[in-house]
Amino acid sequence: MTLNLKRLLYRFASVKYTLVFMALAMILVLIGTLAQVQLGTYEAQKKYFDSWWVFTGVGQWDIPVFPGGLTIGLAWLLNLIVSFITRFRPVRKDMGIFISHAGLILLLLGQFLTQLLAKESQMPLRVGETGHYSQDFRSMELVLVDTSDPKQDQITSVSDKRLMRGGEIQPPGLPFSIVVHRFYRNAELSMKGEGGERIATQGIGPNISVQARLPVSTDEESNNVTAFIEIKEGSKSRGIWLVAAGLGAPQSATVNGVTYELYIRPQRYYYPFTLTLRKFTHELYPGTNIPKNFASLVHLSHPAKNESRETLIYMNNPLRYEGKTFYQASFGENDTLSVLQVVDNPAAITPYLSVILVSLGLLIQFLFHLMAFVRKSA
Amino acid sequence: MKIFHERRMLIGLLSLCALYLLAGLLPPRQATSFDVNGFAQLPVLHGGRIKPLDTVARTSLLMLSGKQTVLSEGHSLSAIDWLMEVMFRPALAAEFPVFEINDPDVLGSLEIRQTKQRRFSWMQIETKLEDIGRQAMQAEQAKPENRSRFQSAVVNLGQRVLLYQRLLNSLQISGIENMVSTLDDFDARIVPPMRRAMTRHAAGKAVDPAILHELEHYHLMDQSSEFAPLPLFRQMGLSRTWINMGRGIVNRLNTEEHHPGVIAYAVMSDAWRLNDSSSFNRALAGYQGWLKDLLPHVVTKSQYEFTFNAFEPFYRSLILYLIVFLLVLGSWMRGPAFFNRAAFSLLTMTFIVHTIGLISRMILQGRPPVTNLYSSAIFVGWVAVLLGIVLERIHRNGIGSMVSGFIGFVTLIIAHHLATSGDTLEMMRAVLDSNFWLATHVVTITIGYGSTFLAGTLALVYFFRRWFDRRWTPELARTFEQMAFGIVCFSTLFSFVGTILGGIWADQSWGRFWGWDPKENGALMIVLWNVFILHARWGGYAAGENLMLLAIGGNIITALSWFGVNMLGIGLHSYGFMDKAFVWLVLFVISQISVIAAAVWTRPTPR
Repeated sequence: MTLNLKRLLYRFASVKYTLVFMALAMILVLIGTLAQVQLGTYEAQKKYFDSWWVFTGVGQWDIPVFPGGLTIGLAWLLNLIVSFITRFRPVRKDMGIFISHAGLILLLLGQFLTQLLAKESQMPLRVGETGHYSQDFRSMELVLVDTSDPKQDQITSVSDKRLMRGGEIQPPGLPFSIVVHRFYRNAELSMKGEGGERIATQGIGPNISVQARLPVSTDEESNNVTAFIEIKEGSKSRGIWLVAAGLGAPQSATVNGVTYELYIRPQRYYYPFTLTLRKFTHELYPGTNIPKNFASLVHLSHPAKNESRETLIYMNNPLRYEGKTFYQASFGENDTLSVLQVVDNPAAITPYLSVILVSLGLLIQFLFHLMAFVRKSA
Repeated sequence: MKIFHERRMLIGLLSLCALYLLAGLLPPRQATSFDVNGFAQLPVLHGGRIKPLDTVARTSLLMLSGKQTVLSEGHSLSAIDWLMEVMFRPALAAEFPVFEINDPDVLGSLEIRQTKQRRFSWMQIETKLEDIGRQAMQAEQAKPENRSRFQSAVVNLGQRVLLYQRLLNSLQISGIENMVSTLDDFDARIVPPMRRAMTRHAAGKAVDPAILHELEHYHLMDQSSEFAPLPLFRQMGLSRTWINMGRGIVNRLNTEEHHPGVIAYAVMSDAWRLNDSSSFNRALAGYQGWLKDLLPHVVTKSQYEFTFNAFEPFYRSLILYLIVFLLVLGSWMRGPAFFNRAAFSLLTMTFIVHTIGLISRMILQGRPPVTNLYSSAIFVGWVAVLLGIVLERIHRNGIGSMVSGFIGFVTLIIAHHLATSGDTLEMMRAVLDSNFWLATHVVTITIGYGSTFLAGTLALVYFFRRWFDRRWTPELARTFEQMAFGIVCFSTLFSFVGTILGGIWADQSWGRFWGWDPKENGALMIVLWNVFILHARWGGYAAGENLMLLAIGGNIITALSWFGVNMLGIGLHSYGFMDKAFVWLVLFVISQISVIAAAVWTRPTPR
């Protein structure tokens, strides 16, 4: 049995499979790149590279037609690891191969971890404004805010992914449950529209009809995530509310004498420190409109750590703090608004180690070849 | 006897090539007694950097007409001659055919019938300016990728009209025939009342509206000039270090006398119109002296760029690379080894010139060698030629020289055609403004491109020799294989490291190591292809011809990620170079596939 497994592993470690996985990877990269013309980078990445299978709609069916990036990556990684265990030896002759492949394993593992763990969000700051949270504009959340305590709001949130699954939700610590009746990844709201959905009984919902729209994916557009939710106290219904990212003012629901504000907004990440934008600079090359640099002078304040200092975030020079990295991403409103990109990626270090290992390994290996060649020709 | 004769001919050829190179270092011939070369070297601020007027002239003319000279009524005008006419004698310059218009619909809207003529004069389009402006403005509402061919073409023409107008306004107020007396008039009539108004502002004494109206001309000139020719002293207490002519004249309101540059350009302008070369040269020499005292480094750099422009190192290299290629071909057809030696000498000589050009660009820009598509073409060629020279040193069989000559020629042709979009020493946009990453990631990845092309070209030569060379032997085939494999190893190293460094740069700039964007994917494809070849060889699948076939595949992959990704999304709506480049890219891919097909078809059956 163990012998058989070993044989099987040995067979899987064949370079034949490596070649197959590489070829599949090349095909996937090619079609995934061409698809970006239609889908945009974000959507194409989700469909081809961040997926286990690539699906194509045939009539009403979604049929898996090609292994996705995760499948190919994992298969290749396994092939690599198994080969590494069964075939590679850290002897002098193969040292270069050994090191470079170790680096490659690290790179692929790191990329897997990144795709699983990394969080991206944004912190827009106007000059003078202070931020203590960042927002992920690609994922929304339903928030229920208990404002009864004048000193502190009690915030409960439900992610859009949970809303999408539907059914009854029991938010922890709240005396009621939420039933999702309809969920739209993107929708258009109108006051009089006909043919749209209009099932709300509370709040401003009864006057608004909702029509589903295809989700958008480009960087400039955003989805109007919308849902009809029913608030239930035990088996007693308190009515149905329409909640949508595009509705500006919060609505309220009163349960047991406590008023809750309801709205859908970009998911927030809160920090124990604050950033205040002191100054935003938009530098041009003299006599042109070509941007030379964008820089945000921010004041960083972390009361718990007794830290209070100024720091400059500019192109190619982010602020790294508490495991998060703040980048100068965008700007607007006549250079009074600066948008910082916040990235939290615990695996960010892996490519750095990997590039050192792989280049060292390849260099050793090829120098070895070259020396052998020169010795032979001499 | 015959061999002796050929040897002499080759020495003669090499000497001719050397003379051709040296001739480029001589200053351009001046047709008249005006010191046009001196004028061409005057430094100005344009497009964010200080450059000689010669560069302004060349890049502007390239953008307008796609060429660096003007052909008018049988005689040809250099770029700087043309620019001087535009600035000093606009009425005469209006007759030069410098606007290249190919789009039939644009021609139609200008009421020009389509003939063989491709370039049109300012006079021909002047009456339609309003119409062009309106159409261009309308077309600009659409996103570049959604524009129709006509819209792209009219936007392009609109931009060129604007450029021409800005050039007209750079040194001269339109319609004024006598600059010096205009300046005197400015001093006498406009300065005193304006000064009084400024000092007695509190008294509420208004300035004569007619005078304010005259000042408007200069403000307009300030806003619509293409370059800034006047450096300011530190004593003038202004933060902007270079100002344009309009601002310079208005500055007279705050200073005791005119900026020396204002006077010099005014005198030169009048002298040019009056055909008075001695006043022109005197004013020029005086101003040159003043500049040299104030900014010696700037003047030297400007002169250097002028010499670089005139030398045209890449154009000269292009021609010589072609000769190298032909020489090796000759040696293979006729036999004598000294053809090879001559080719190698010429290759080395050309490579030195290519290197001088490359380093000159780095000095002028203060940047690593690759900053845009144009410079990547020059660097891809340089890397491939360098590796080819190394191969030739090792094997001494002409193969290295031949592939070097071929790639050097082709990449420099590509660069030559990429240069029409303006100044190739452009400023780097904010996120790219990092010499560290340009020097590491960009250079490494471009070395990867160059070496992958070299392996592919070796494979092309391999098949052509198998087909046409009667002295083809299995030993020769093995030599080719060794070379190609070595180069593939080299490309793997550089393309891999370059790609990862790109990821690290992205991580440093916006926190995303890998974003699957087209450029990144293109680089990844090259890495995958190269490691595929290595593993296929290791697994025993890519011995002999198979390796060569895969290497040609590398040509396709590299060309696609080098140029193809720039065309993604632009598609068939694009205009200008990329449009033509798309056709060439498709032709290139087809040609490579044909070679692969023919190679498989004619594969010798194993005995």
